[in-house]
Amino acid sequence: MAKEQKESSQGEMEGVNCLAYDEAIIAQQDKIQQEIANTNPLVSDRQDLSVLQKEYAEDDTVYQLKLKDLYKKYAYIRKTRPDGNCFYRAFGFAHLESLLENSKELQKFKEVAAKSKLDLVNEGFTEFTIEDFHNTFMDLIELCEKQPSLQELLNSFNDQNMSDYVVVYLRLLTSGYLQREHGFFEHFIEGGRTIKEFCQQEVEPMSKESDHIHIIALAKALNVSILVEYMDRGEGGTVNHHVFPEGGDPRIFLLYRPGHYDILYK
Amino acid sequence: MENKYNLKSPAVKRLMKEAAELRDPTEHYHAQPLEDNLFEWHFSVRGPPDSDFDGGVYHGRIVLPPEYPMKPPSIILLTPNGRFEVGKKICLSISGHHPETWQPSWSIRTALIAIIGFMPTKGEGAIGSLDYTPEERRALAKKSQDFCCEACDCSMRSALLPLTSNSNPSAEDRQAKELAQQIKFKAESSLVTQAGTSADKALTVTSGDSFTSAEQQTTERPHAEQAEVSPAAGVEDPQTPDENSPIRPLSPRQRRAQQHSRQAQRAAREPGASRAMFAPAPRHNESHAGSVVLIVVLTLALAALIFRRIYLANEYKFNYDL
Repeated sequence: MAKEQKESSQGEMEGVNCLAYDEAIIAQQDKIQQEIANTNPLVSDRQDLSVLQKEYAEDDTVYQLKLKDLYKKYAYIRKTRPDGNCFYRAFGFAHLESLLENSKELQKFKEVAAKSKLDLVNEGFTEFTIEDFHNTFMDLIELCEKQPSLQELLNSFNDQNMSDYVVVYLRLLTSGYLQREHGFFEHFIEGGRTIKEFCQQEVEPMSKESDHIHIIALAKALNVSILVEYMDRGEGGTVNHHVFPEGGDPRIFLLYRPGHYDILYK
Repeated sequence: MENKYNLKSPAVKRLMKEAAELRDPTEHYHAQPLEDNLFEWHFSVRGPPDSDFDGGVYHGRIVLPPEYPMKPPSIILLTPNGRFEVGKKICLSISGHHPETWQPSWSIRTALIAIIGFMPTKGEGAIGSLDYTPEERRALAKKSQDFCCEACDCSMRSALLPLTSNSNPSAEDRQAKELAQQIKFKAESSLVTQAGTSADKALTVTSGDSFTSAEQQTTERPHAEQAEVSPAAGVEDPQTPDENSPIRPLSPRQRRAQQHSRQAQRAAREPGASRAMFAPAPRHNESHAGSVVLIVVLTLALAALIFRRIYLANEYKFNYDL
């Protein structure tokens, strides 16, 4: 910290206020992140779905109606920290959790995951920069092979280092798949960017939020089907769901509320 | 060094790997950690041959955050070069000033190649950038060979492998260079978005601190000030200030926005740092623009203090209405 301050005052000596301004933004963002981190675990315990009721005003009819609809289909929720990485973390946890008691599927998934690094290297990612992330991801899969308690898996996902490394790897897989299938995906990119630019700006950097295109890519890259329930202020009184990729048989259920993903359980 | 660090730390593991990977100098770059600190590296890069930096070899520091590679490295040049200020963090999207675009799968090598790729590009007043004339840069390039670094005990004459006649960059380097191009594009576009709206506005903004004459500066400085404010103000102040009037009174909204940014700045600083805010001016006395900056900065600071009171009062009322 002292060093940072020294550097920031040194920056000002050199003359431009915008340097301090830049750093002030960074400092403020860090502070906000810290506050979020203090109140939200990376992945929470499983809670009764009724905890959501308290988050909305009683006279907020749109959400209260949709909540009722949600109760019909699901019983529990597991929340993730709203830090821009929630989709990847929710997906990573929910998927491994679902494989804990399904060793056949776990083996299949392990093979896909093991091979995925080579695919990325062949696509031009530098091996020594991605292997730490891949190793962490494989470590976690191997942990699941030992059939640990759910708490152990939860602890791993709440260890910031490990958890973030898994997020980085899932981001890399998403980016890799988007670039591999660029012919298909480039039609969905806004702002006249190439797929590569999109990946470098919206997929690979941490804390960049995920959209449909990210979900489709990751689901396809790992050959896992994901169902997302969408709950927003739109008309209709019911939550709408979408399965990625279409026509799959999902075992992972995520709840999307504008800007954030949590995990749902039947 | 192996015993000193926790090998389980992801940053240590990664940096050890990078140190091994970059151990031998190449023709274009070399970087190694200091003997007593794995989190501070020194590097040397060769100026691109087809530029004003031809023949130059430049030395600098890389400071790595404990969260590396989740957070970006900071890069600071030590050799005068006419493109980047000496002793100051460089503003590339790859270094600490744009952490949002840093990618954990990048490495120190990526950063070095980006630096080389960046040298011939225009500084345009970005943080830590200089726009010296080609003659000055060529003179500095020649001089750079004499630089010796005491901290890492190396001389620029022998820091890198000599260029050979068939010194084509390897496939890997070419790939990294492409990446550097990508980064450059991003640095510009992030500047544009930061500055607020359109590209031509960004140009006005970025030329803010590379002034050549006092007159130019007085007209441009306020632009820079306003533009700095605009990102934070974006939410409450969607109309950006009119660019054509050089010095004009700020609207209360702008002042408020400015106030916001100043408070944020203050929060990020040590309590005594408000003095440092006035320090910049004397540094600029090469052009005798310094005193003008001082006046503008002092005036703005005063205005900021005054309107802070007004702002606080307004804010109070505003909250009350809610």
